Amino acid sequence: MAADAKLSHTAAMILQAISAGVGYGFSIMEMTGLPSGTVYPAMRRLERDKLIRSQWEKQSIADAEQRPPRKYYNLTALGKSTLEASRKRYPLLERLISTEEASSR
Amino acid sequence: MKPSADQIFHALDETILRSAAWLVPADQRTEWHREWHAELWHVRRSCSTTGSFSWPAQREITAFCLGSFPDAFCVLRQSWLDGSRPAHMPGVPRPSLDGSAAQYLLCLFAVLAVCVILARLLPGVHAEADSSRYQVSPGLILIQDARSGDNLTPSISVDLFRRWKGTHQRYLDQFAFYRTARENASLSSTLVARWRVTHASLNLFSLLGLQIQFTSAASEDDRNVPSVILSHETWTRDFGADPHIVGGLIRFGNRTGKIGGVLPYGSWRLPGQPDAWILEPDAQLASDTPEGALGYLLAHLTPQGESEMLGDRVPITSHDADANDLDLCGVSFANRLQGPWGLYRFALLLALLALPAVTSVTLGESNYSAHRPSRKITFIRWTFLGAKFALIASIANFASLDLSYWRASTYSPLAEFFQLVWCFSICLFGFRWALSDQRQRCPVCLRRVSHPAQVGLASRTFLGWNGTEMMCMGGHTLLHVPSLPTSWFSGQRWLYLDTSWEFLFADSGLL
Repeated sequence: MAADAKLSHTAAMILQAISAGVGYGFSIMEMTGLPSGTVYPAMRRLERDKLIRSQWEKQSIADAEQRPPRKYYNLTALGKSTLEASRKRYPLLERLISTEEASSR
Repeated sequence: MKPSADQIFHALDETILRSAAWLVPADQRTEWHREWHAELWHVRRSCSTTGSFSWPAQREITAFCLGSFPDAFCVLRQSWLDGSRPAHMPGVPRPSLDGSAAQYLLCLFAVLAVCVILARLLPGVHAEADSSRYQVSPGLILIQDARSGDNLTPSISVDLFRRWKGTHQRYLDQFAFYRTARENASLSSTLVARWRVTHASLNLFSLLGLQIQFTSAASEDDRNVPSVILSHETWTRDFGADPHIVGGLIRFGNRTGKIGGVLPYGSWRLPGQPDAWILEPDAQLASDTPEGALGYLLAHLTPQGESEMLGDRVPITSHDADANDLDLCGVSFANRLQGPWGLYRFALLLALLALPAVTSVTLGESNYSAHRPSRKITFIRWTFLGAKFALIASIANFASLDLSYWRASTYSPLAEFFQLVWCFSICLFGFRWALSDQRQRCPVCLRRVSHPAQVGLASRTFLGWNGTEMMCMGGHTLLHVPSLPTSWFSGQRWLYLDTSWEFLFADSGLL
């Protein structure tokens, strides 16, 4: 997908949230306010289009915290450039989900 | 040990996630369930901060779990359509089945369900459907005066019946006669009802092959008392559907009859709607018939007679007692006892034959681009059209019965006529709608094309193309409909969009 391809607002919000350091499905839902039925399919599509990539947490970390291992997402280089283009299209995106707000969570 | 509410809801949440996972294609199922399950742990921790059970927290957790179903449906849909993406169109937004196509089918299905439920509730439809159970001999005809245009008017004298029955006939071997008149029926010492009473020869029902319900064995004393058969409506209306009334006596004027049984609902298909039938010997029938009164004559054709049939009619020439010529006509009424299916099939066939007269039956298949949808997409498209046709045909069947027998509680030629008209109309205009709707749907995603744009004016362009262009909002196709069909552009055409159009539809490709 071209870096300047247009994203929907929802997709751009998810990318922005991941860019802000919110890398888990439930955290993205909390941050964006989007329901689970929207967030996960959107993330799958973003992953399919190589805008984000996912990785499973190491089992040892999860075991240490006595919880199931989690899948986390981060932006690819293409995702970063696409997000840059989307920020121009949606100027309020950074205000909606700022890096500071995300890191404070 | 009694499980706590927390444990019960844990199990419930896990069941929801597992159920949703079963909707996901097998190769992705484990991955999706693992992710939901992992996130559920965090959702629980986030929602139940106190660690104890609370309803608001559980509501949020359950909402998260239920969100797995939209996820699963989305994955399922994507998975179905991924395989159908043409290899030579790598950048074209992935097709997705438009919701409106499914909604259309659901609406049609809902209408069909309503029609079926109504048909189950209407007694007339029941009677009409049940009539297919009754078998009638193919050689049975109703004889009438050839000059009477329809077969509803009585036109045969009882004398002719007796004369034919008393002599050997080459073409006919069995006869039954009946005539209907309004008479007072004394049901008890105080109750008198005005009934349509049919006086019939003893073999009427045996010739017709109709079974009588609740028959009573005739005793020696009954020899001189005529048997009275009640219609189902009379039995329920005047006797409260009491089966024990069989054997009881009813007075008609100065004569008494004994109730011999009840005719099953909707089984009488001959002219007249009697409340009761009095079965009498021929001599009694003739003596009871007023001078000049006419009735209906039923006869059974011999094999030789059947060979003389012209369609459902057979011309009969005879003469009366004064040697005057009688021009008669025998009409087979076997088609009346075929039930509604025969009529439905006929109306359906008529509608299909008439369809090309009211609309073009092509779908505008021609296209002027190298890209073509895959076989799977083509299959889905044709399946959608087939489903619409099947649903409309089913709706026409049930809706025509509902509309025709809304008031009529049993068979009537008028209701039958209305059934034919309704069925034909619904099929014809329903199929027309289905085709025109299909022509407006993108062949890839079945969305209705929109945003019509007029290109050129027929009055101002000479050889230039003019017409209307519409676009699929999924970004798959453009539809070109010419204003004036020409030899080089006679019908609508689809243009399949390639990757150069992708940027316009990026939104639909992502979310």
